[in-house]
Amino acid sequence: MPRYAMVIDRQRCVGCGACSIACRNENNVTEGVYWSHKITETSGVFPNVRFHYIPTLCNHCTHAPCVMGCPTRAMYKIDNGITMHDPKKCIGCRYCMINCPYGVIYFNWKDSHPFWKDRQELLPGGTLSPAEEVRAVNGRGTPYYNPQANSTTPDIRPRGVVEKCTFCEHRVRAGSLPYCVEACPADARIFGDLNDPESVVNQLLGKYKPYRLKEALGTDPAVFYIRDFTAANYPKTKGAV
Amino acid sequence: MKPNQSPPLMSEDLKDKGISRRSFLKATAAAGAAVSLGTGVVPQMKALAAASGPTGAEPGQWLPATCQGCTSWCSKQVYVVDGRAVKIRGNPHSKVNLGTGCVRSHMALQQVYDPDRIKTPMKRTNPDKGRDQDPQFVPISWDEALDTIADKIMALRENNETHKYMLMRGRYSYMRDVLYDRMTKIIGSPNNISHSSICAEAEKFGPYYTEGYWGYRQYDVLKAHYILLWGADPLAANRQVSYYTKVWGDVVSRATVAIVEPRLSASAGKADEWLPIKPGQDAALALAIAHILLSRELWYKPFVGDFFDGRNRFVPGRTVDEALFEEIYTHGVVKWWNLALKDKTAEWAAPITGLTVDQIRRVAEGYGNAAPHAISWVGGGPVMQVRGAYASMACHALNGLVGAVDNVGGTLASNKEYTGSFPSPADFLDDIAQKGIKHEKIDQRGRLHLPALNSGKSGGGVITNNAADGMLDEDPYEIKVAIGYINNFAFSCPQPERWERALAKIPFLAHITTNASEFSWFADILLPDTHHMFEKWGYVKSIGNGYRHVTLMQPIVKNIGEYKIDETEIPWLIAEKLANRGFDNLLRHFQTYLDPETGKAPANEKEFALYSLKLVTQNLWDPAHYKGGDKFSGWEEFLKIGVWNSDPYPFRDRWGKMKTKTGMFEFYSETLKEALESHAARHNTSVDHVMEATNYLARGETAFVPHYEEPFVLGDEKEYPFIHVDHKSRLNREGRSANSSWYFDFKDLDPGENIWDDVAKINPKDAGRLGIQDGDAIRITSPSGSLVCHAKLWEGTRPGTVAKCYGQGHWAYGRLAAKVFGKEARGGNNNDIIPAQYEALSGSSAFYGVTRVKIEKA
Repeated sequence: MPRYAMVIDRQRCVGCGACSIACRNENNVTEGVYWSHKITETSGVFPNVRFHYIPTLCNHCTHAPCVMGCPTRAMYKIDNGITMHDPKKCIGCRYCMINCPYGVIYFNWKDSHPFWKDRQELLPGGTLSPAEEVRAVNGRGTPYYNPQANSTTPDIRPRGVVEKCTFCEHRVRAGSLPYCVEACPADARIFGDLNDPESVVNQLLGKYKPYRLKEALGTDPAVFYIRDFTAANYPKTKGAV
Repeated sequence: MKPNQSPPLMSEDLKDKGISRRSFLKATAAAGAAVSLGTGVVPQMKALAAASGPTGAEPGQWLPATCQGCTSWCSKQVYVVDGRAVKIRGNPHSKVNLGTGCVRSHMALQQVYDPDRIKTPMKRTNPDKGRDQDPQFVPISWDEALDTIADKIMALRENNETHKYMLMRGRYSYMRDVLYDRMTKIIGSPNNISHSSICAEAEKFGPYYTEGYWGYRQYDVLKAHYILLWGADPLAANRQVSYYTKVWGDVVSRATVAIVEPRLSASAGKADEWLPIKPGQDAALALAIAHILLSRELWYKPFVGDFFDGRNRFVPGRTVDEALFEEIYTHGVVKWWNLALKDKTAEWAAPITGLTVDQIRRVAEGYGNAAPHAISWVGGGPVMQVRGAYASMACHALNGLVGAVDNVGGTLASNKEYTGSFPSPADFLDDIAQKGIKHEKIDQRGRLHLPALNSGKSGGGVITNNAADGMLDEDPYEIKVAIGYINNFAFSCPQPERWERALAKIPFLAHITTNASEFSWFADILLPDTHHMFEKWGYVKSIGNGYRHVTLMQPIVKNIGEYKIDETEIPWLIAEKLANRGFDNLLRHFQTYLDPETGKAPANEKEFALYSLKLVTQNLWDPAHYKGGDKFSGWEEFLKIGVWNSDPYPFRDRWGKMKTKTGMFEFYSETLKEALESHAARHNTSVDHVMEATNYLARGETAFVPHYEEPFVLGDEKEYPFIHVDHKSRLNREGRSANSSWYFDFKDLDPGENIWDDVAKINPKDAGRLGIQDGDAIRITSPSGSLVCHAKLWEGTRPGTVAKCYGQGHWAYGRLAAKVFGKEARGGNNNDIIPAQYEALSGSSAFYGVTRVKIEKA
């Protein structure tokens, strides 16, 4: 049985966020919800300043606090290590959000894609309302609705439940890479099986010193980071007293 | 070079990489099949899967397309399900973008399905024009719209004033000449006005007057050991963002990357050296680097040559005897030293640039030691300035000193491509047209103070933003009938309020557009345009990765509006209407665009759009016309692949035969000397007078070499203490993504920016002095206007400057772009504070370092 994991090579990452917009696209994720997200920081004081970017997503932890705390087993692990969520069992208690140390679970306070439900036309007779636009192109939720997201988890999540990254389980089971991995223009995301000693993921984890977010908590995340966002060199120095 | 870094892990042969990735996918597929539904603990999931059919069934297909979200012009593929666009990725067949798609390419989905796109022609019912006048557009038929346009053109022809017709071009494909050139000429007007000089013409000035190449460069980054970027942000803005994004992780392992830019850009975030220069002082730094390269004997001798006796006489402060130096592939290096370099030490440049002597030396020596694999990469920032032409030359000339021009790991020109041109209009110009096209153009190009020396020719380039003044002053005459397409000069040009008045003054204005934009607000007729990526026939060509590609645009989705193609279908339909009115020259001309496969003349607009594209690309797809690069079996295969790739780059082919006057890389530009002298002669005056008229300080021979000019910045320092730094967003699709929710939801992908906000980034020290806190509403005022936005306190801004991203501040365009459509802007438009100033030698609008501003709480 595979144990899926992702390595994020921060040196290749350019902080463009193509992963995050591609994820919105693939999984029909509504505005304001970030299955794929980032932590950014501007460090230093002018002129010694740099910008840092850490891509984030659900860590698909082995010891997933979100799963352990879920009273209805709506949040659950599948045997390839992916943490899944079943909105039909979700009662919207948000314990998972409180328990998740990574802040990658979102609650749907509103119906999804509110922008596209608007019935107002900008220029009456000459433009369409967002709702008409969706209908005219035969979309669902949005005009660019992706039907492929529907195969394992509901394509569009209802109000009153949580949602989060699924490692694109619908794609992985069909033999495709998670869409953020495929769409990453920098090839900074590498996906594979931790249980296969020859997998590229394991090759990279052996070559570099990997690190994971909040490792000390013992959650055993399946998202690993290697190298640095800023690979900058500097003139040799011993400093000064 | 970074000796201590391990070599990059992955195979560097990108072709091989494609293969290894495929095999990886296959392996994953096998594993996936084995595990699917194998758990037993997830009945819920099984049920869902069963309900939606077998996983992996492909409901749609990937179809070829082209992205014009920026001028990288990548080849793309669109996932289309039942005529509906669902996803976007890079076209794996392109050798320029290598199957890669940058972040903003995905946002094209929110453009093509923007509910606020106009779906049908509309006409204005409020006869009064002005920003405060709601046009009260109502839908009309294509017939009515075209009849109206044809009547207006015929009226000009009847009155022998066809020169008062004007065509304004914005974002184009290479089908442009149908509408821009042929139609304008046959109607009888000289006024085809492009947007080019609000883009980056000054960026081409340096390369042209040193190496005879008027165009954007490509950079051999994977072989470079040093990359010195001047206001260029290849990981975010332009050009070949997809390609550079793909390879940058490897580039930074091998090359030292240094970025000269007053604010910490996306690319600077990953650079070894950030040189946060004072705006406008780039030439000072470039000259100091050149000075160090020569005085420290770091120039590349196999390209530049050497002193006959091998003894370096480039001693700071001393004049050198030209006769002692033997140049090989360059011209005038000693003259350049004597005229503009000998005193330009790092110590001289440090206070001017606001950088340290240490950093200037370190960068210059690192750059020189990497010769010839040392790129000096000139972006728009240092050159789209009032005195930017010589900065363009100075920064680019460094490539000459280190032999990086046309070299491995250096700066490259375009590969050859073999597209053709449209049939000549000559036989279809009647007497009215012949007379009409001889009038002076409305942008006043070529006048003494506006040389616009595109490719060496006086008045050879456009001065886009000055057309507004030409129209307002009716100098040389008034404009009566105008058409604009995919342009928004009332938003995208500095001091756009001039455009509002100029457009309001035109008696009849038609706008071919996707959205009712600020420009549309002043139009009499709106024509719904196709979206380039999904709905249009066309092609563009682009360079990168040592290749050139020609990538096709094709209609690949179902149109839900009555959209027509701007550059082909609409001119055909107008031609038909003109023919109905007794003027059939344009239609007869278009009927000469025969289908190369059948020899058939087009009978309608759809055939015309297709035949004209097949005609000009015939050399690429017709095996009988094959000239080089990718080979296709015919049109159908070309359509399916969607992109043609050139042969690989012929390194060093141009050494000794550059298209300069001497054939050499010119440090002393005989080419510029000739251009300036011919412009002066046209006005019966001297080059010194031309320099004075164009706001340059150089006199005498200095005008022909890259030299330092004190920047020309408007506004008194006491009243306006900050210099404005304009920059672009990685989410900008040329200022057209502001009606997309993803734009706002992800705006913080630009370093220092916030989501759902428009901020001016101010150094915390400056903000502290002004009593401004993070998030405060502020008004930024320049001598030419003001805008309101929020303050962002950020260490990535150079003190004394305020950095603000371009792209927001729309008061029209759509429901998200504007706070209240037609009434209130969302955020602030940088152009409202940028005065209409020009780099006159190239005709460019100055966008950077052109004005001082003050900041107050709003």
